[in-house]
Amino acid sequence: MSKIIEQERYTCAIGAMQSVVAIPKALPILHSGPGCGMMVRGFFERSTGYAGGSTVPCTNFSEQEVVFGGIDKLRLNIENSYKVLESALQVVFTGCTAGIVGDDVESLAKEFRAIGKPLVTVETTGFKCNNFVAHSEVVNAIIDQYVQLFIKDNSIRSEKNAVNLFASIPYQDQFWKENLRTYKYLLENLGFKVHILFGPESGGVTEWQQIPRANFNILVSPWYGQEIVEHLEAVYGQPFFKFPHLPIGANETEKFLHGVLDFAKHLEIAIDYDNAAGFIKHESAAYYEEVDNLATFLLEFRYGLPNHVHIIHDAGYVVGLSKFLLHETGIVPKEQFIVDNTPEKFQQAIKEDLKTTSNKKNISLTFEPDAGKVQDIIRGISHQGRGLIIGSGWDKQLAKEKKYDFLSASVPSPYRLVLTTGYVGFHGGLRIMEDIFNSVLSTYK
Amino acid sequence: MKEKINLDMPEVQPREQRLGTIIAWDGDIDELHRQSDFIGRAGCDRNAACKLCELRGPFSQGSVCSEQMVECQAGNVRDAVLIQHAPIGCGAGQVPYNSIYRNGLAMRGHKVENIRIINTNLSEDDVVFGAADKLRMAIDDAWTRYKPKAIFIATSCATGIIGEDVDSIAREKQEELNIPVIPMACEGFRSKHWSTGFDATQHGILRQIVNNHPHKQEDLVNVINLWGSDVFTPMLANLNLRVNYVIDLASVDDLARMSEAAATVGFCYTLSSYLAAALEEHFGVPEVKAPMPYGFAGTDAWLRELARITHREELAEKYIKAEHARVHPRIAELKKKLKGVKGYVATGSAYSHGLIQVLRELEVKVNGSLVFHHDPVYDSGDEQEDSLGHLLKHYGNVENFHVSNRQQYQLYAFLQKVHPDFMLIRHNGLAPLASRLGIPAAPLGDEHIAIGYQGIINLGETILDILARKKYHDSIKKHVTLPYTDWWLKQEDAYILAR
Repeated sequence: MSKIIEQERYTCAIGAMQSVVAIPKALPILHSGPGCGMMVRGFFERSTGYAGGSTVPCTNFSEQEVVFGGIDKLRLNIENSYKVLESALQVVFTGCTAGIVGDDVESLAKEFRAIGKPLVTVETTGFKCNNFVAHSEVVNAIIDQYVQLFIKDNSIRSEKNAVNLFASIPYQDQFWKENLRTYKYLLENLGFKVHILFGPESGGVTEWQQIPRANFNILVSPWYGQEIVEHLEAVYGQPFFKFPHLPIGANETEKFLHGVLDFAKHLEIAIDYDNAAGFIKHESAAYYEEVDNLATFLLEFRYGLPNHVHIIHDAGYVVGLSKFLLHETGIVPKEQFIVDNTPEKFQQAIKEDLKTTSNKKNISLTFEPDAGKVQDIIRGISHQGRGLIIGSGWDKQLAKEKKYDFLSASVPSPYRLVLTTGYVGFHGGLRIMEDIFNSVLSTYK
Repeated sequence: MKEKINLDMPEVQPREQRLGTIIAWDGDIDELHRQSDFIGRAGCDRNAACKLCELRGPFSQGSVCSEQMVECQAGNVRDAVLIQHAPIGCGAGQVPYNSIYRNGLAMRGHKVENIRIINTNLSEDDVVFGAADKLRMAIDDAWTRYKPKAIFIATSCATGIIGEDVDSIAREKQEELNIPVIPMACEGFRSKHWSTGFDATQHGILRQIVNNHPHKQEDLVNVINLWGSDVFTPMLANLNLRVNYVIDLASVDDLARMSEAAATVGFCYTLSSYLAAALEEHFGVPEVKAPMPYGFAGTDAWLRELARITHREELAEKYIKAEHARVHPRIAELKKKLKGVKGYVATGSAYSHGLIQVLRELEVKVNGSLVFHHDPVYDSGDEQEDSLGHLLKHYGNVENFHVSNRQQYQLYAFLQKVHPDFMLIRHNGLAPLASRLGIPAAPLGDEHIAIGYQGIINLGETILDILARKKYHDSIKKHVTLPYTDWWLKQEDAYILAR
């Protein structure tokens, strides 16, 4: 049985409408109660994009539709969405109301497809799953119902050095834009053509149409998104390379990039491997120059630096940040909390991945989506030295109570504006150091 | 005689049934006032009243639901806990409401803390088999985590459709815990307008928290408001009156003692209509029935009526005279600076009437406004509360007056017609479009900004501030692409799809 949740860090399935908002010029259409879209907007903040937020068409279910069904209202709303809004791709999301009353949205979509409008539908009743899971369902629905229509011009695995990348979930990872840009930058410099699919650096629906051309897929995630790459493997025979946590800082970024290269080698993809290795070396050298500068500061700072950290985040961040902070900043990860409702079948692998961080230190890990409970646990823990909490806006108060430093790095994010900040790669690692130690410096009298 | 508010029913009656609320209409104030027929509708036979024709179109954008209003009211009571019996997505609203709660607490000098809302995180199984035990567990958790003085329970679309029996669980737990456990029917689909959520919270509080055996306090005044800065305490101190702010940021005790007060006032009838009328009808607390306290005419009348009820006429006259003298010079200066400027108001219903009054005091031109809904009458049925009529009588017509329930696509056509220099906006969602059109907009974060005599000055200064940001908005306009089709952008009639 799913348990109660206080201070939520994710939302329900319909929150995956943000994955459509993140595709340039795509339009989500909601067949739901009147508040669903606004709630999603409120949760992610600054999340309007091209046609999200208050622009999103919605049937605003009333008692009448609950009793008599809402299909006719949805039909009208879709017809007029084409008239009123300029969009390149339309995806219909169903809320709890439509789900329980059993509106046959798929049959309606067929009517539109028959007149040449490739409408995509995805069932996202709020009680079905959360937005981490629904993200994959949205992507797979677009692949099956839209991408597939363009298969003739996009032969399967026809571009040998092209890859599809699945990593940050748009908006759920507040650093998604820059993180995706970073992956693209790094992988392009290795010699790949990269479909990142979301955000300003993606090629919009044209890039989506080219998904089948890719030779293989890259998944940067412990669990969310895995259904996408497995689906692509099933339909297009594209194998996937999985990196199970966020590559933050030099160690993990190098490991990630070399992993991709090894995978490509294995597939006999013809890229310039020496050149690629040279690029990694160059980026790494630039990184360590900064780390060296920083070391002077760290060693000479007189008034105390955080020596331990609790992270409250999704699995990819908890593991990625733990590895990074221990090995590249010297901040020791103490009790860590994964609040993304990780399905049980992935939990063991995540524990093992975290375990490999250090053979001296055992990092305690708890899976608990009820962050109210997590906060109570942290309230009861104390360690020697100055502490740091990395979490969401909900945790600011807790950090204050415990007199810990606080870094806001997860949604909801009311205390932090993120425009082009990213946390992955070489630069992402340096940026985290800036963020942590800036907050330390701000306490310097 | 008008019907008395019925507090025996566990569920509040939606606004459209009580008041004849509409969410789409096009015309001017003169016509809307005529069709609303405040007095006729307030009488015994509501069906005999003049018909108020609502436009119904084939296209809509998302708006807001009643549950969200419950979150931001019941969820913002200081020593209570709100349980959302709902899938996790309904909890997404906690984020903005926590922010408003925390900053509101700080503004009023209370201890800052996180909002206390627990979500029952309904799954597919819960929807199929019911989730009564889970609700019980959530109530127990709320009790162990916070020992609250009251527990509110908000329903959701999902629990509403499956017919979850929240009422009997609430009764059972109320007996067990010996604190009010208050169910509130606020399913998103239940009412076409989200303001029914205000009424749902107020209904629950009236039924289960307000003290039935009050010890009257002749100097206590209930002020029904939201999170705004504390303008009423100093204002009412001039009349030797003390303020009891409800519902947001109040404690459960503050809510209980509403029945002890000498009077109830509001700053917006959309918000206060139900609670104020019921306090009078069921607890004998007189409601101040007067125009809302905006502009000179409204504030004068509001203060005089409050003074009459609380027997403080002399103090009121003295205060009114002193305040007129104090604010006149600055208002005269502001008028000079604002002459010829055109403003547009897009807010909740009654609140817009108030803001237009203040703008016209400042001689700002207002030839257009949109409200999210329209209540042709308020719960008390008293003509003194006819806020639209007051606006019309004292400040004249507004030619382009639209009822549009946060329909962003319509706003474009509205604005093309009136070309304002700035906009006043109270709720999220519309400001971004205004900005993309190069129109500076002020989101009124502090809803008390325009209240009373000082409010006229405050609003004038705010407008000067906004106008200074024109260049920034022009630059946005130049560089963004609107998501609307050329066909739509050419339409002059925002309701064309509905005709």
